[in-house]
Amino acid sequence: MPTSSLRSVVLLALAILLIPLALACGGDDEEEGPFRIGVMESATGPGETYGRVAIQAKQMAVDEINAAGGINGRMLELVVEDSKCSAQDAITAYNKLTDVDGVKIILGTSCSGAMLGAAPLAEADGVVLFSGLATNPDIANAGDYIFRTSMSDAQLGVDTGNLLWADGIRTLATITEATDYAEGVRRTSVAQFEKRGGQVLAAERYASDITDFRTQLTKLLATNPDALHVAAQSEFTGGTILKQARELGYDGPIYSDIVPVGTTAIEIAGEAATGVKAVIADIDPANAKGQEVLGQFRERYGYVTLAWYLGSAYDDVHIAAACLEETDDDQDADGFRDCLYDITWSGAIGDNYSFDGDGEVVGLTNVVVEVLPVSERTAENNGYRGLGFAPSE
Amino acid sequence: MELWANLIVLTWAVAFMLWQGVGFAITLGTVFAIWAILAVSLNLVVGFTGLLSIGHIGFFGIGAYAMAFLTSDASYEQLRTEAIPTLGWPFFAALPVSVVLAGVTALLVGIVFNRFRDDIFVLVSFGFAIIAFSVFLNLRSVTRGAFGIHEIERPAIGGWVLDGEVEFLVFALICLALVVLVCWLIVTSSFGRVLTAIREDEEAIAVFGYQVTHYKLAVWVISAMMAGLAGGLFGSWTTFIDPNSFILLESMLLVCIVILGGLATIWGSLLGAMAFVLLDEGMRFLPFIPSEFVGQARQIVLGILLVLLMLFRPQGLVGRYRL
Repeated sequence: MPTSSLRSVVLLALAILLIPLALACGGDDEEEGPFRIGVMESATGPGETYGRVAIQAKQMAVDEINAAGGINGRMLELVVEDSKCSAQDAITAYNKLTDVDGVKIILGTSCSGAMLGAAPLAEADGVVLFSGLATNPDIANAGDYIFRTSMSDAQLGVDTGNLLWADGIRTLATITEATDYAEGVRRTSVAQFEKRGGQVLAAERYASDITDFRTQLTKLLATNPDALHVAAQSEFTGGTILKQARELGYDGPIYSDIVPVGTTAIEIAGEAATGVKAVIADIDPANAKGQEVLGQFRERYGYVTLAWYLGSAYDDVHIAAACLEETDDDQDADGFRDCLYDITWSGAIGDNYSFDGDGEVVGLTNVVVEVLPVSERTAENNGYRGLGFAPSE
Repeated sequence: MELWANLIVLTWAVAFMLWQGVGFAITLGTVFAIWAILAVSLNLVVGFTGLLSIGHIGFFGIGAYAMAFLTSDASYEQLRTEAIPTLGWPFFAALPVSVVLAGVTALLVGIVFNRFRDDIFVLVSFGFAIIAFSVFLNLRSVTRGAFGIHEIERPAIGGWVLDGEVEFLVFALICLALVVLVCWLIVTSSFGRVLTAIREDEEAIAVFGYQVTHYKLAVWVISAMMAGLAGGLFGSWTTFIDPNSFILLESMLLVCIVILGGLATIWGSLLGAMAFVLLDEGMRFLPFIPSEFVGQARQIVLGILLVLLMLFRPQGLVGRYRL
């Protein structure tokens, strides 16, 4: 090997080795340092959209708290790690946060798979894991230190099933993305719909990388259902399905969850999305705090998407700050956990909500929305109008 | 140069451990052990036999799902429509099944794959990875599809459950040592020399009367069984798996590790796995990055470092053979 190349390799390696040393020089003053809490979100990978919004909303909340003087005179600092929507990466991110950074309170994750990977460790170590976005129903049983402000997919499905029945839908066709979230929505929606007496005439599933749904939609629509139910994980596929269904001549009602009525989805679908009904967790237009947070986020980052999850991530930081104010110790995970069990919170995503014995959020309700015609869609109304709370019966 | 590569990676590993403390190093050690088993097993096929397979992640997934299905406790499931049975097998009963199931699958697909060579073999192994992922996603009565399976059993010897990270690391390293031993016995035997000859000139070795297809099939199955072992360990370590852990990208990363360490060298696979884990996880400590960009910056820097390493050492850190 030429000497110059050898020298380059050695220099490269030394540069890599020097990264730790450079960092080691910047130690914090433990005595008067800030409260430090961990954040695990999908900064990259399949859940990147959710993760990015969550990280930005959390950072915005932290900046707000610090600008107001911090917590008991101390600043709040986030240590952010990428859990990539995967169990393995969640475990390494978790261990880095707990072993290296020494945090005892972690906000996250964006994805249920990552949450379920890290939850057993958190439970065993007595570390609080507090998510604003993970919705897999199995998380309810994950442990005493596991909390979330995101509502379970199981509840969303029950609400959707009830809505279908209340709207007079008796036969249904479903098209579903093969992901844990979308599958969960479809399964629980169909279960509730069938429990009420409805009948599913046909069901299709698709992989996340599919872009043409015409064949599946043609098969579904040939069964002549009263309505079509779309459960998607990505806004691109959700919007494309709405568009292609209308292009195939289907003019019947379409029901969905938050994803197919997201900003990107209805932009893709255009007029085809008009009239689509969705059961979603949404920030109440009458909730002044929620609207204020959305406005601040738009001003700071220049966009708003996944409004409710954005608000949920924002609220999580403020809830954490309230509990840190009470415990005055970011290493007191037990005190923090007890605080969460006792707390009743009013914030961006709702008023007077709390946590039950499983760490599940209670006091929040899904709402029904209907997508507006293109001419009436604005950044403020997110392209839809609210029709009230989801029917309980 | 090989001495430098060894010194750099090993010094780097020790420095990283001293700097970050033993706790995080234990986690990385476990990740290393699992990736190293996979890398050593893939090197048998790619490096020693010359069959570039990008479908190895399929056997890894089969091992993981066998472990999950046999040992998980389904009582946690909230969605009863997606329930799988609770079989309650102990870890050490399930692990051989993980290994054998991966081997049997490799035997079945290998009978077909043996018909192909070179770039066509790459394509069919790609197809296998796609099929395997699709099965993990759609065979919901066994895999729970996108919901994944959790509460997967940790190893237990008598009443001693290896639920601590140190215990699991030691167990994973023992498994790695066994895999390395088996691999070393293979490549230093006459069987291994035939594999190398197949890699160099398959037709020439056939002229001497060797049943080339038998040798290729045998090493393919052995390699898959090792990957199944890694899968069983992975499922037990994470205690949760879903199809996202077995996507094609993971297979590509595995091929990168093998090439990074060096083809046709067992030590190279270990070194490659170590370097990759240190690069990947070391990027978590990038300084001065705003929290909103930390994940993306990590991926970009990792990619650049891998490109640079390949620029300077296309044959890998300690490799002797190039594709």
